Amino acid sequence: MKKSSKLIRELLLLLGALVFLSPVYIMVVNSFKNRQELYENVIALPSEFSLQYYLDAMDKMNFMTALGNSLFITITSVIFIVILSSMTAWMLARTDNVLSKIIFMTFIATMLIPFQTLMMPLIQFMDTLSGVLPVEMLNTRGGLIYMHVGFNAGMAVFLYHGFVRSTVPISLEEAATIDGCTKFGLFWRIVFPMLKPITVTVIILNVIQIWNDFLLPSLTLTDTSLRTIPLSTFYFFGEFTIQWNLAMAGLTLTVIPVVIFYIFAQKHIIKGIGEGAVK
Amino acid sequence: MTNRMTKGWFALFTIPLLLIFVTVVIIPFLMGIYYSFFDWDGIGANPMVFVGLDNYLQLFSDTRFMDSAWITVKFTILALITVNILGVTFALLVTSALKTVNAARAMLFMPNLIGGLILGYIWQFIFTDAFKIIGEATGFESVFFNWLLNPDYSLYALVFVFTWQMAGYMMIIYIAGIQGISNDVIEASMIDGASYWQRLRKIILPLLMPSFTICLFLTLSFAFKIYDVNLSLTGGGPVNSTELFALHIYNEIFGYGNYGFGQAKAVIFFVIVAAVTLTQVYITKKREVEM
Amino acid sequence: MKFRKSLLFLVAITVVLVLAACGGEDNEGNENSEGSEASSGEKITIFQSKVEISEQLEELAAEYEEETGVEVEVWGTTGDDYFQQLQIRLNSNQGPSIFSVRHITEAEKLDSYLYDMSNEPFVEHIAPDMALEYDGKVVGVPYGVEGFGLVYNKDLVSEEDIADYESFINTLEEFNGTDVDGLSLAQEAYFLIGHLSNYPFSLQDDNYEYIQQLNNGDVTMADTEEFQAFGQLMEDLRANIPNPLDITYDEQVGDFATGKTAMIHQGNWAYGMFEDYDLDFEIGMAPLPLLDNDKLEVGVGSNWGINGEKDDAEVQAAADFLNWMHTSETGMRYIVEEFGAVPAFTNIEANDLDPLSQAVLDATNSGETIPWSHNYYPANVIVNDFVPATENFFLSEDVSGDDFIDSLDTAWQNATK
Repeated sequence: MKKSSKLIRELLLLLGALVFLSPVYIMVVNSFKNRQELYENVIALPSEFSLQYYLDAMDKMNFMTALGNSLFITITSVIFIVILSSMTAWMLARTDNVLSKIIFMTFIATMLIPFQTLMMPLIQFMDTLSGVLPVEMLNTRGGLIYMHVGFNAGMAVFLYHGFVRSTVPISLEEAATIDGCTKFGLFWRIVFPMLKPITVTVIILNVIQIWNDFLLPSLTLTDTSLRTIPLSTFYFFGEFTIQWNLAMAGLTLTVIPVVIFYIFAQKHIIKGIGEGAVK
Repeated sequence: MTNRMTKGWFALFTIPLLLIFVTVVIIPFLMGIYYSFFDWDGIGANPMVFVGLDNYLQLFSDTRFMDSAWITVKFTILALITVNILGVTFALLVTSALKTVNAARAMLFMPNLIGGLILGYIWQFIFTDAFKIIGEATGFESVFFNWLLNPDYSLYALVFVFTWQMAGYMMIIYIAGIQGISNDVIEASMIDGASYWQRLRKIILPLLMPSFTICLFLTLSFAFKIYDVNLSLTGGGPVNSTELFALHIYNEIFGYGNYGFGQAKAVIFFVIVAAVTLTQVYITKKREVEM
Repeated sequence: MKFRKSLLFLVAITVVLVLAACGGEDNEGNENSEGSEASSGEKITIFQSKVEISEQLEELAAEYEEETGVEVEVWGTTGDDYFQQLQIRLNSNQGPSIFSVRHITEAEKLDSYLYDMSNEPFVEHIAPDMALEYDGKVVGVPYGVEGFGLVYNKDLVSEEDIADYESFINTLEEFNGTDVDGLSLAQEAYFLIGHLSNYPFSLQDDNYEYIQQLNNGDVTMADTEEFQAFGQLMEDLRANIPNPLDITYDEQVGDFATGKTAMIHQGNWAYGMFEDYDLDFEIGMAPLPLLDNDKLEVGVGSNWGINGEKDDAEVQAAADFLNWMHTSETGMRYIVEEFGAVPAFTNIEANDLDPLSQAVLDATNSGETIPWSHNYYPANVIVNDFVPATENFFLSEDVSGDDFIDSLDTAWQNATK
């Protein structure tokens, strides 16, 4: 009796998740249809599962180059975000003065600014910077990474800050300080490992954000060989109409690496938590 | 010495990020405020006329701005409720002892990955085609009709899609929170014979308060900035009934080409929203217990 | 000491970040910045709004590079945010050498960037009245000619059925009792009202003059005969066609291609949409007979402009490219065959056009056209103001045609204030 009710609950959970996922179904199914098929029935299965549109989309998007760019930009940005934001957030959380409060509030307040109002001054200023500094900020991967770090810093600091205050025991830090640890050593050897669950969360959220971003890369990268995956899908979004099959295929291709990444990362969360529990 | 040392450490830990943050976010934001005092069409070579506070005075008589601000507030409140209820429910479900949780977790998370414009278009298919089919099949035509055609319902349609997209995102943060709750506490309560509901109400939810603070604020900031889905799902229509704030500013700045006026709107709305939310964050942060 | 070590670590991180920036530059950016520094006209860049021809344009650019050694880089963005991106790029000195200027309102805004092409050799081949002129200068070369009207299924509708206003409405009413819809519009801004709203303007003796008067407040639409007739047309449409807000461009074309709709109000650009369908009937394009109008609406969708802010060598290189595109065998072939444009150049011959483009070309050659007026509208009035007014009209039966015209007047005043 108990077993069967559990089985039912298992099935219900899966079923619920499936219903929730139905729009994804629409995306995948329609990546196999031509315009007429799509018009006739959006929900129906395609008449044939030919990979033709995927190959076309990959060809037009210059997929391997775009994938390389996306990987490089996302991974590098996320590494910097994790390192810099966790340090900043920990310091802000552990320093009880007006300055640190102001800095923290500024970080989170800027999360409320719509990017649309910032983009023009941003690019203008980046152009000015490129003129003053010997570093080219626009139309380079590094410049884009720099901007990604700046825009996503607020949320990462916010997440780390909350986690530090609620789960990292101060007593432990004090003990380590007495043992002669510098702040730097203290942070990397003792605090950072304890931040693992939130680090994984920050990584996941930022990977999604940066991987999918269209607007910022489209403003900063003009060079064809620098295009990221979302950027290369522009071919399918015409003035009046969208080439649905290619756009949906392109989108599916964009999503797949992140899904794989998530499945991988989530195992890691569970492992990390499990380890913590055993100790 | 120690004091100087402390300051040194503080600088070392915060300055690298602050430097990036200031150059990428703060300076452009200040430039935006500067532009808000000018009458300018947004083309570098065209004249910028200093008008002082005119743009700010003018915007209070702009009914479309007021409408848009009000719709945005309405949308944000609705979204805050639905996203977080669903997010926390998902998180509780997928941290339960069921075997299918791993699969479910990945599935619930996936909507989040479909970013940008195409998400709105996919849902347009659902509202226009799938809803019609369901309505005709089940007879519930009062619920399943094309929501996008009705000025009242199209806002709900936006809330619906936004919830669908964000619930999985918030779920991730709630999962981290739930897993941060020590097993001892839960086990102790189980030994005491507490039922699931008692445990949930008395132990889990209160211990999740920090996650709630975070998720409420994140939902708020995403809801307030929503643009892509707004543009592709409803385009602000019908009859401007869903022209949320970011889209409205965008239309003012790049559509009409009133750069200064659009920036003034952005500044005012930002000040109001930031004041409200920062107070809220400040209060809840204070309440959180430090360990 | 440990402090210093940590400092070193952070410096290292910063260096890596900077290196990453430089790294990007070394690979690709450097070429680019060197190109623009030296800018001896060895490289030009194109940023344009018609996504549909991006790939073909890239191919053309490759052919040009092979022939002349001048590198042509084609940038891309989605159809929706072209102008805003152009604006941001121009403002931050990142502008392209060649870009699209869609109409006179944009040309006015970008005047200080636009190079005067009057003395370039290919300009003389532009068909009469088709060049984009501002302030006495030729600032834009047309992509091609486009036209819109009633695209109809010849099996279901004959030319006489829609020859004048009365028979047009009668035809719609007849279809109203059948399974087939007589006509359909689509929800996208230009297909809903943008194109339709041209007729009452274009039927004026001088549409440009009329729009100036409207801007100055000397006339109102409500007091103009053509607009009163247009209000009546909208009422008749609302009574006889399916709600356009419920129909996307894709559905509109799909319904037409599968015989469920007899006519759609569309232009020759829609022909590409039929590629995936097996049309088993002939199609034609006829004028929309508002006040018995018998001419197609024909105009220029977009123009090529040159960024005059670039240095002389780059401007010259850009002009050379446009010249080559419009006078060489390869360039002309691309315009007609690959871009699928109805050429707006007297030296370019168009063969084997699709039936809709052929109709546009025939009308142009015989002078049976009325001009596009929406190119003179205040910036974005269609999307920002006309669309909400039209949605309101289609959603509520209480709004009369006259009310609708009043709301267009209000919208216009709002956009020009």
